[in-house]
Amino acid sequence: MADWEPKIVAFLCNWCSYGAADLAGVSRMQYPANIRVVRIPCTGRMSPKFALAAFRKGADAVWVSG
Amino acid sequence: MSEYAEKIRGIAKKLLDDGTVDMVIGFRKGTIPLINEPCFVKDGAKVDALIWDSSCGVNLANYLPKRKEKIGVVAKGCDSRNIVTHIVENQITREQLYIIGVPCTGMIDRRKIRLAVGKEILSVSEADGKVTVSGDGYEEVLDKQEMLQDNCAICAHRNPVISDEMVADPVPEQTEVDRYQDVKAVEAMDAEARWNHFEQLLDGCIRCYACRNACPLCYCPTCFVDESQPQWVGKSIDKTDTRTFHFLRAFHCAGRCTDCGACERACPVGIPVRQFTKKLEKDCKELYDWEAGMSLDVRPPLDTYRAEDPDEFIK
Amino acid sequence: MLTKSDIESISGEVGNFSVSLTRQPRYVDMDLCVGCGACAEKCPKKVPDGYNSDLSKRKAIYVEYAQAVPLKYAIDGDYCLKIQKDKCGNCAKVCPAGAIRYDDKPETVTLNVGSVVLAPGFKPFDPKGLDSYKYSEHKNVITSMEFERILSASGPTHGHVTRPSDGEEPTKIAWLQCVGSRDMNRCDNPYCSSVCCMYAIKEAVIAKEHQGDSLDCAVFFMDMRTHGKDFEAFYDKARNDAGVRFVRSRVHTVTEDPETKDLEMRYVTEDGKIEVEKFDMVVLSVGLEISSELVELANKLDVDLGPNRFAATDSFSPVVTSREGIYVCGAFAGPKDIPQAVVDSSAAASCAGQVLSSARNTCTKTKEKVPETPVKGEPPRLGVFVCKCGINIAGVVDVPAVVEYAKSLPFVEYASENLYSCSQDTQDGMAELIREKGLNRIVVAACTPKTHEPLFQETLINAGLNKYLFEMTNIRNHDSWVHKSTPDLATEKAKDLVRMAVQKAALITPLAEAELSVNPNGLVIGGGVAGMAAALSLAKQGYATHLIEKTAQLGGTALSLHKTWKGEDIQENVARMVKEVEDNENITVYMDTELESVDGFVGNFTSTLKGKDKETTLEYGVAIVATGALESKPTEYLYGQDPRVRTSLEMDKLFQDDDPALKEIKSAAFIQCVGSREPGRPYCSRVCCTHSVDSAIALKKRNPETDVYILYRDIRTYGERELIYKKAREAGVLFIRYGVDNKPIVSVTEGNLTVRVRDHVLGKVMEIPLDALTLATAIVPPDNSKIAQFYKVPINDTGYYVERHAKLGPSEFATDGVFLCGLAHYPKPIDESVAQAQAAASRAVTLLAREKIFTSGTIAVTSPADCSECGVCIALCPYSAPSFSTERPFPGKATINPVLCKGCGLCVASCRSGAIHLNGFDNNQILAMIDAL
Repeated sequence: MADWEPKIVAFLCNWCSYGAADLAGVSRMQYPANIRVVRIPCTGRMSPKFALAAFRKGADAVWVSG
Repeated sequence: MSEYAEKIRGIAKKLLDDGTVDMVIGFRKGTIPLINEPCFVKDGAKVDALIWDSSCGVNLANYLPKRKEKIGVVAKGCDSRNIVTHIVENQITREQLYIIGVPCTGMIDRRKIRLAVGKEILSVSEADGKVTVSGDGYEEVLDKQEMLQDNCAICAHRNPVISDEMVADPVPEQTEVDRYQDVKAVEAMDAEARWNHFEQLLDGCIRCYACRNACPLCYCPTCFVDESQPQWVGKSIDKTDTRTFHFLRAFHCAGRCTDCGACERACPVGIPVRQFTKKLEKDCKELYDWEAGMSLDVRPPLDTYRAEDPDEFIK
Repeated sequence: MLTKSDIESISGEVGNFSVSLTRQPRYVDMDLCVGCGACAEKCPKKVPDGYNSDLSKRKAIYVEYAQAVPLKYAIDGDYCLKIQKDKCGNCAKVCPAGAIRYDDKPETVTLNVGSVVLAPGFKPFDPKGLDSYKYSEHKNVITSMEFERILSASGPTHGHVTRPSDGEEPTKIAWLQCVGSRDMNRCDNPYCSSVCCMYAIKEAVIAKEHQGDSLDCAVFFMDMRTHGKDFEAFYDKARNDAGVRFVRSRVHTVTEDPETKDLEMRYVTEDGKIEVEKFDMVVLSVGLEISSELVELANKLDVDLGPNRFAATDSFSPVVTSREGIYVCGAFAGPKDIPQAVVDSSAAASCAGQVLSSARNTCTKTKEKVPETPVKGEPPRLGVFVCKCGINIAGVVDVPAVVEYAKSLPFVEYASENLYSCSQDTQDGMAELIREKGLNRIVVAACTPKTHEPLFQETLINAGLNKYLFEMTNIRNHDSWVHKSTPDLATEKAKDLVRMAVQKAALITPLAEAELSVNPNGLVIGGGVAGMAAALSLAKQGYATHLIEKTAQLGGTALSLHKTWKGEDIQENVARMVKEVEDNENITVYMDTELESVDGFVGNFTSTLKGKDKETTLEYGVAIVATGALESKPTEYLYGQDPRVRTSLEMDKLFQDDDPALKEIKSAAFIQCVGSREPGRPYCSRVCCTHSVDSAIALKKRNPETDVYILYRDIRTYGERELIYKKAREAGVLFIRYGVDNKPIVSVTEGNLTVRVRDHVLGKVMEIPLDALTLATAIVPPDNSKIAQFYKVPINDTGYYVERHAKLGPSEFATDGVFLCGLAHYPKPIDESVAQAQAAASRAVTLLAREKIFTSGTIAVTSPADCSECGVCIALCPYSAPSFSTERPFPGKATINPVLCKGCGLCVASCRSGAIHLNGFDNNQILAMIDAL
């Protein structure tokens, strides 16, 4: 388990967190590459179904941010 | 109990005869003991079919969505709360309904009785908190309180919350019950134990959807389990699909479930499916001080935003 | 947009100004710079970062901050080695766009404009000169601006609170209020800076949230001024829930322990005890002031300044400067917070627009349209373009490998790499490829869609494709820039992101943008000062305006007011406004009239107006709610029982009438916060302190012998109003503070009116005989529920309307086409009411001027057959877009108004029945992305 890396799916609000991830890039903040972002128009768009679907597809963590 | 039935018949007859309603929904004797059936009476002369006893567990709110006529409906505490939910959710209007309120002392669980007796049951009668069960060459007297459905044993709203006429004075509410003992036990488990708990819980599920069909909250034209574009849930009894079904069904009941027990009563394999809905019910109570179906004037917590809503989870 | 530019002069007059500007050299060609940041990475020269209050360093080539607009680099000529010493030149070497111009020179630009808006802002007070706090010497004494940066996630410590001397987490922080404000001894700023109390509370709360409850935060203040909307509640929460300490004391000296660098403060508590307390950090809540450069600018422009160097304005024209055609907004016209600055800016735009209204739409150009290729029913033919962004992406991600991978994905017809996808020649090339290869869905893997999606959509339009047949994925900001040390993983991630985008793109469909005409008439509800100002503003910009007033008289609450704190006669000004309204041929006034019904939505409202003896049906495009508020009638302090006890407005009536009774008053008192800032009504009514202080001065003026007392909890004469507080004290008005749990007691014995109150300075109970007692009663909203329901706009717990955004949308509702101003929003004085009215009109004109509204394509649509009619979407939508259809073919089913829908998807996620779909982000599309994980 020592080198185990979780697969993280992030659902990010277009207006805040997605933009924040953009800024993290502009600021060249470094973080591990095991995160995949799905852009959604608002966290209001987030459905429990998406979280369950991501887990079914093998995600180890689902992150909703907005 | 028979006074209740008399009173129900009387009200039903009056309502039908004077045209207040087009139909009365109540119960009639089932074809086998312990399972009474819903009964739709449209003629004042036929009200004698209506009965009342502790086997009237079916939630009659189930038969209301999208009805166009005026309806008299027999309602226990939980039915009445589901009627409120239906009105709030625009499934029927208050004006269409004449609610015949029945103070309820709990419905008996046919499985518990069968288990206690262990023989074929041919007739059941009840009086003074006792249930008398008889069959071929035997008779047994059981304590009703011990034979109650699990949800009835912890019910905190036995009296209808809304009615046009009551068949009797309110019964005392059970105030000393711990409604969430089972949920707390699950909450206390570590992740692995909890996983195993739910694995076992759902082990026998045959995906018959009886829990869904019995639930008064499930009235969508197309259920998510039947959608194909996209397909949210596979149609197999693959464990993941089964879990997904139960989780999503529970989510759809969040903030709406009255713990009427219809789902569990309907389950042919005896899965305590209320464990899912009750967790969400407990959360709604703790987070939003919300109990479903208590008021016509308040929007449910999950479709309103209030500044004082808890937001600890964001920290 | 002209950056780095200074105004040299403005000549000419309103309608035809000539503005002469000097554009300072930027040394970077704005047209070529793509903002990639390669230059800053290689720049060797480190410079104090002014944006972070010099707490960190930036490079000599820089963008001010990550969100800067425009996101283009600039060279700091004072530090650049190439410019100063002709060395280095790294940035020109690495700039992939060739945008560096070391030979850039100052340039004179002349603009011809009709009106000018000044928004030059303020300067935070510099406490270096105050020897009592030793800001320059004590390392752990910092300014509130520095603390803001420390709290910021993008600041020098990434939001982690540490103290400058040793980088340790502080356990005790003190805020000292009124540094550079309300002070004539140590600086020249007698006014209150208005915003510092609130920001200090906010900083303390955030610091505690971040650091945990063990952090002790103490705010040392004189009067707590939380007079803004919802501010008092925040103060209550900070005090009661967050546990921020508030100490009413002005701290005079801060000494430093030379060893630990801790700070020791001596202060006098409310009950006169001297306390000595140690803190790890002291934050100076510095005030707002106008810099000498701005004073110089004002002189150059011939714009008058007031005694405190803020631009001089009039209460009834709050954004108009002394020079016609030049308007002002923000803190240059007086210290103010964000909502007020935003209100002013819209008001200034409105005034500037009035002057320019005849020129509206005379400079528009129409673009030629490329006919759209129909793609419906055709199988997806995807084009994937992977951008190298110079070396920004290609330096980390193996772009050719991603392209090859893309080619292997289903439906992908064509894939290639671009050096710079956003450059004009690449755009042209992409359009050509789309046509040539018959591509019908386009994926671009590049930077962020937040900035570049519109650009690529334009390319699609030019190639004849519907612009929604586009999907963008971010392999720069979210990949190459943040995973530099793991190029292999970054390449894998890029492939994954491309695969997700391709899967989604295969499912996207062309979307239509509906067009809707806007009725150019406006409706203003309420004929008070705000309503009249809004109507005048709309009318003067050329729009037919209907103004309805419930009573038989225009003027509203202002009819009962005597003078503004600046001394302007309110009745005179209101009468002038009424005449102006009546004379304006664009305004139709409906007296004794109320709104009966509202149908429709933005651009197309229909209402029935109910007048005394007639009903009118009105069609209009926008509505401005200016329904005002009322003075509450108290039930305490013998009001209604003794004629000598009056409300503030009743007292004003005496002044207005020059009532002889005024002469008889030998002793008068004012009680503040009557019905405000109490549990039942927790907000501050904002205007009452100024009002009472002003009335007290008026009494003293009439008869200096009169004893005048003001019984208060905190005096909230914010901004330059502080000057009349000072004036009142100089005139001998006595101020006695009381606590909410120790209210004054008013009694009558043998006909003598007396107030008993405990004096906080003397510490004993005073008994004051009175001839007049004025109660500064709370301002309360009327029952707004009817209009709120009509326009589906929200009301808060205290009965006031809720604006779209507390800071950025103060004069409009979340529901499109409905605007808000005046006391209906929150209690406020006349200047702020007028400004907000003009702001509401300005926001309304942004709709009216468009003539046509185009809806977005990415909106929610319902599938009626699946709808269970539960109404959750209707209850939930903040924009009132869903409703039950009343028409065939699907009566009773939910339908979504495409004009009002903002495409957030809240309804989609909450629809249990799966009956709502979000164009562009539909369930199957998002699920396709998840499937592609």
